[in-house]
Amino acid sequence: MDFRTAAKLGSLLSKDYAEDVFDLLVNYRAVSASEVAARLDLHIKTAQDYLEGLTEMGILSKEEVFEKKRPYFRYVLEQERIAFDLDLMQVKRAPSADNLSLRIRERENAGARFLVGRSADTITHVTIWTGEGRERAERKIKLTAPQGKFLYHLPFPKAEALTVAEVMRKAGVEEALSPEVLDLVQLLDKYSVLEKL
Amino acid sequence: MFQTRKLKPDRSISGWIIPIGSILIIVLSMLFFGYAAMFIALAGMFWVAALYSLYIFARTGNSGHLVVFFFQVFAGLMGFLAPDYISDQRFQEWRFAWIFGVVSYGVLIVFLAVTKRIKWRGREIFELVAELVEETGNGYTPRPRPVGRVDFSKQEILAFARFCARHLIAVVYVSPRQVTFVPVKMGGEYTFMFRRASLLQEMTWISFDFDGDVSVHIAQKDYLDYVEPLAFDKLCESLGQLFIEFAGMHQRGEGVRIIDRMDALRMGYFS
Repeated sequence: MDFRTAAKLGSLLSKDYAEDVFDLLVNYRAVSASEVAARLDLHIKTAQDYLEGLTEMGILSKEEVFEKKRPYFRYVLEQERIAFDLDLMQVKRAPSADNLSLRIRERENAGARFLVGRSADTITHVTIWTGEGRERAERKIKLTAPQGKFLYHLPFPKAEALTVAEVMRKAGVEEALSPEVLDLVQLLDKYSVLEKL
Repeated sequence: MFQTRKLKPDRSISGWIIPIGSILIIVLSMLFFGYAAMFIALAGMFWVAALYSLYIFARTGNSGHLVVFFFQVFAGLMGFLAPDYISDQRFQEWRFAWIFGVVSYGVLIVFLAVTKRIKWRGREIFELVAELVEETGNGYTPRPRPVGRVDFSKQEILAFARFCARHLIAVVYVSPRQVTFVPVKMGGEYTFMFRRASLLQEMTWISFDFDGDVSVHIAQKDYLDYVEPLAFDKLCESLGQLFIEFAGMHQRGEGVRIIDRMDALRMGYFS
């Protein structure tokens, strides 16, 4: 299951009326949105959107019924269990030789502001300004200790660039912490605070 | 030998604001309130200045400022007594005391000024830092720069800090983890001395932590004081190495050589 699917499913299951809807779906052969709405005292649109959401997730199926004046859908439960299986490691950034051998240094006139920690060998926050004119916004990023030490040792603009691995070594940051360092590198690159050579 | 300065000529008037302001107050007091008020205003200003000199002495241990303090107390006292003495037969006594005091203190203070014992050495520091940096190319960043590690004990670093404070090489901030040196230029000392350590982000500083790490930060206004956009990375490295060298000299008992190096630049007292 990916994050997006898990988030959508979680959102559906977290509704106040979720359990009541499933109560109907489990115990009735099929239900329509209007029946659910009337039974649970919900707005018809709310019931309809909810049932459609569950259908998109594959938990329900729908069949068009041609009774009375207008055709409508009836929803049938397709699954007896809902399993949440989200592999968090799918977003893990594995340090590769390519990533760690990137040569980097601070970009000149990056415009970022660095707040030094009390211990003076680490940076605790980076403030970056994004946007132009009236849409200019300030973004303050709090750094973890390894990130702060890494940034403290980042080569200056126009100084000799060093690889990510070399900067980590100078900063005394273990290689096991490289995913969070690489995350910072990616973020600073995105905001043009550092340059890759 | 003509020395090419890397700093812009010192055209700052900030050091003159207080003396000029004081003269203005004295003249206005005289015009609006008469001579007696003028002397009282003069006395008040000398005593306020005396408090400042005493604070500098307490903060740095610089004995030259103690001499200045006594002179300012004396001058203030003479000003305070002047209205009573000038208007009657005791004017000669007052005048003798005034001349004697001014000449005595004057000789001492001129000696202190000529030998630069009451001169803030910030400009010398920045000039020495730039001596070895020929590359240009800007590269300014507000980030501090780690320079390296030193092998000094905590006591040695603190002793060096006291030396720097006493000789007005830098204002010193001591914290449980480190000592921070902040060079101060002449003319900038009036407000500087009252700044909190929390404003260090805006100043040029050199930090020696007690684990041996040395880092530096050069403020943008100090960087812009150089004639050319010197390579910022090299400048920071040079600043750190200068203080490491000074600390080494002090450790070997060669503190006087530090003073000699600064004196060799032959900068004027007021710059």
